[in-house]
Amino acid sequence: MSQDHAGALNVLMTRPYKYIRLQWNDELRALRLRTCVKPIQCYSLAAMTELQRVFSDISENPGMVRHYVMTSDVPGVFNFGGDLSLFVLLIRARDIESLRMYGRRCVDLVWWMENASMLGVHTTVLVQGDTLGGGLESVMPFHKVIFERSAQAGFPEVLFNLFPGMGAWNFTIRKAGFSVANEMILSGKLYTADQLYRRHLVDVVIDDGEGEDAVEAVMRTVNPRLRGTLAALEARRRAAPITYESLMEIVNQWTESAMNLTDRDLRLMERLARAQARKAGGAAEGAVDEVKRIELDTAWGEERGTGVTAWGAMAS
Amino acid sequence: MLPFFAELVTRTDEARRDFETHPVVLDAVAHGMVIERYRKLLLELYHIVWHFNPVCAAAASRVPDSHRQVRYFLYEHMQEEAGHEQWVTNDLEAVGVSQTTVNAYEPSLDTLALVGYNYWAADRRDPCSVLGMLYTLEVIASVYGGAFAQAIRDALLLEGERGVSFISSHATLDAEHMAELRQVLNTITDEAARAAIIESTLLNFHHFTRMFAAI
Repeated sequence: MSQDHAGALNVLMTRPYKYIRLQWNDELRALRLRTCVKPIQCYSLAAMTELQRVFSDISENPGMVRHYVMTSDVPGVFNFGGDLSLFVLLIRARDIESLRMYGRRCVDLVWWMENASMLGVHTTVLVQGDTLGGGLESVMPFHKVIFERSAQAGFPEVLFNLFPGMGAWNFTIRKAGFSVANEMILSGKLYTADQLYRRHLVDVVIDDGEGEDAVEAVMRTVNPRLRGTLAALEARRRAAPITYESLMEIVNQWTESAMNLTDRDLRLMERLARAQARKAGGAAEGAVDEVKRIELDTAWGEERGTGVTAWGAMAS
Repeated sequence: MLPFFAELVTRTDEARRDFETHPVVLDAVAHGMVIERYRKLLLELYHIVWHFNPVCAAAASRVPDSHRQVRYFLYEHMQEEAGHEQWVTNDLEAVGVSQTTVNAYEPSLDTLALVGYNYWAADRRDPCSVLGMLYTLEVIASVYGGAFAQAIRDALLLEGERGVSFISSHATLDAEHMAELRQVLNTITDEAARAAIIESTLLNFHHFTRMFAAI
């Protein structure tokens, strides 16, 4: 490694982080990033700032990092996606500019992932827990997507009259085709790791506890043929291009749709946030179970679950 | 340049999340509270609400003519908030706390610190700092109030608005106030006032979180 790279790496690794942890593998030049936005693992503004800083460091030092691996440090949760409380705050304040800014920052992170092959970086993600909405969107642009078998994922946004706006359509269509994208995004359903594998959204499914070995195996396999692999992945991008403009147009539309959410929609969003809080507090059930309950409520044509009074209030 | 409201949201987001993710707050939003703790929370809130308008009045008296829109905003807000301490005492009565107990209750040190800071900031700092207090209380009410009120209803088996009228109604009212507050905050252009509002927001989230955690 050159002196420049060694210096830049030292800066990258010793910068104080609050929401991420970094590990370096010198042999493979692999940067491992573990997210730990505790207790509610989501893409908060501060967490995204730290991620962006890491990505900028990698971009500014081409050749320094060959493998980028992302995992979660929060047991049972990969990522719940957007910061729902922040969404509620901005929507209630009618602050479309800030909401758009949040969306664009998410797209910038996704766009960096999309361009990683051009920077000489192979990307791998290991999902060992639930990942919803923006959490799943953030997984899709990785070159290799590994899920442990108990992990579940989906795009529940339609349940509260929204849609995933930070790359879900583009990347799901590219990887799995229109019909799978339609099914997943328009139903709001959750999928097991095996179901996602059958839909070609996940590359590898392994038993719980074997994720670390799988990550190591991917890096060891790719490393000797890294240049060829990255060139092929770059060609794949050209064959099925996703443009920054398209991502931005969709996020702008997402912002406008979010501004039209009703009080009832926001209350459903709050219900998910409350479920996340329960899981963060140590409860066995969390947002994923709440999404299933909302699906059931929808199927029954009524909202039910926590009592007549609650649903009476939500219907208004 | 970011509109000031966006800057305020961004620069105080960690303080908001520190409140939201405090274990006591997480537990309260997820599971509600036992009645003794809910009574204590309302008693603390009573003091915050009771001093809200006097703090606004102190600030309004010092707001310079260059910020007259802030003064008018405060006048209107004070009008709307007048008498809301009675909503708290009504809720307290619904959960078995008499007016005599309310009158005799001594607020916690954290509540005194919160209220005391807001008087001091209105009197000695940039008077626009009062908008930081408004922002904090309206974020807490409009973002977390609805879910918290529901959790309290579920935990204490309360019906309708009985016992939760203050928190529940402010969850709705403050949603409207948030949009108005954003508009007035976006008119603030001078750096001293902006810095004071950010400082006040951080202080208010800090003290409110500590007050809530100590319940």
